[in-house]
Formats: sequence, structure tokens, C-alpha cells
Amino acid sequence: MKNEEMYVIVFESTHYAIAGESLLKNKGYKFNVIPTPREITHSCGLSIKFNSDDLENIEENMKYANILIKGIYKIQKIATNKVVEQIG
Amino acid sequence: MNKEIDARGMDCPLPVIHTKKALESMHNGKIITIVDNEVAKENVSKLAKSMELNTEIKENQGNFYIEIFKEEPVGTTSLESLDIECGINPTKDLVILISQDKFGEGSEELGTLLMKSYLYALTEVNPYPKSILLLNGGVKLAIEDSETLEHLRELESNGVEVLSCGLCLDYFKIKDKLAVGGITNMYAIVEKMNNASNTIKL
Repeated sequence: MKNEEMYVIVFESTHYAIAGESLLKNKGYKFNVIPTPREITHSCGLSIKFNSDDLENIEENMKYANILIKGIYKIQKIATNKVVEQIG
Repeated sequence: MNKEIDARGMDCPLPVIHTKKALESMHNGKIITIVDNEVAKENVSKLAKSMELNTEIKENQGNFYIEIFKEEPVGTTSLESLDIECGINPTKDLVILISQDKFGEGSEELGTLLMKSYLYALTEVNPYPKSILLLNGGVKLAIEDSETLEHLRELESNGVEVLSCGLCLDYFKIKDKLAVGGITNMYAIVEKMNNASNTIKL
């Protein structure tokens, strides 16, 4: 079974998600746009999944650009279960 | 008579083959097959079901203990008729036709993000589709530097057939940039859609 760990930013709105995406793209970060995981919210949202190494830098960037986020979450997949923890 | 088959670490379809042999050689009693993955669990369950035997499955620390009860002699079953899946992710007889590089209409900016988000989600949800056919602007998803390349590659490495329309790649002059999957033509596209039990068009 593969155990994975991923970091996800959830935004205050889709417009902030779009702004966040283009900001990180311009800065050359490696990330994925993903549907907000169901474990965080059931509503249809866009989130950004990124590498743990970039956690602090990305958080700073969002703050500096005034992009409002709902939270940063660490999601661990253990076998078929997902464990969600808010870390920012 | 009870028998235990430790099929942990065995490659697919060996757990099924060993269980089948044991069941056929046994008059009545119980067999416990131990497997360490979901696919093997499903396959062994299918076998028992096809022989109309009752099963009980227990999970413990990532291992599945499949108990199969044989009360009376039953007919044999052929492995071919079982439709054993050996892929990492079982695929469904589903074809997805993607005819643009954006998902939906209304906003191109949003559509681009939705397509990325859709293809990511596709890698996360089982069962996987059998084929993904890329047509018209959809072929742009499969070329070098496309932001969805990673997801399409992941799907392909899990046995999903990814095919781009050759004519479309030609039209956009990006045939030499195709970076995942193969090239196909309209006859193959028609065949695949007609033969699928379900086709989704984006």
C-alpha cells in the first residue's frame, strides 16, 4: 500500500485560487491544481497541492500578495484512509 | 479439513490460481487465503463467487484473510471466465473523449484550471477509464510543457490508453511535441466509442 503525504492550500474564493495559481506559476513553483479534497470541504472548490519543502515560501508569497486562504492542510493517506490536519 | 494459503507477495494472478487448485482438490472444509492487496482480494472473492461458495473477509494490518467455505463438491470454473484484473487499478469499460483543452464553457481561465483539476481527480478515483481520447484542442493537453502531462502520464502508467487524434496534432502543428500516449485516427476513435459500454465526452 502506498502511503502519501500531501500539502494543500484552500482559498477563500475561486478568484483567490486563480490568483494564487498564477502567482505560483510565475514564481516557478511545482504544484498541482486539484479539486478541494472532500475531507476538507464538500463544496466544489479549487485548491493547490504542493511540495512540503515549499511550505513556508508559499505561505509567505500568499500573504505578501494579499491572497486570502482558508487554510493549509497536511493530508496523509494511510492505506485507503485519509488523515487531514490543518497546519496553517 | 482446513487449509491455509499464504499468498502474500505473490504476483497476480497466482493467489487466485493457488486458491482455485486448493478448492478443487478439497472435498469439503475451509480455505483461508491470505493476500496483501486489494486487487488480489477482489480476484479471490470473484473466484469464490463464481463457484457459489460463501466467503468471509477479515482485514488485519493491511492483510486480507479470505475464508472460503466449501460444503459440498462444486463444479470447476475456468479462470478465463472470471475476468481477473491484474492492473494496479481495475479499469472500467469507459472511454473519455476530451475535445478541448478547457473544461466547460463560460470562462477560459476557469476552464483551464478545471481541466487540470479534473485530470488530477481522474488519477485519484477508481476504477480508471479504459481509454482517454484527445481530439481537436484536447490534444494540447498531451504535449510537452502541458500542465496536465503529469496526470495523463500517471493514468497511462496505470494501464489507461491515452490516444491523440493525429490529424488534430497536425492541424495545430504540434505532432513532434506529443509527450504522452499514442496517435490515432478517426476510425479507431469511432470503434473505441462504439465498443465502449459508456463514453463520456468533455
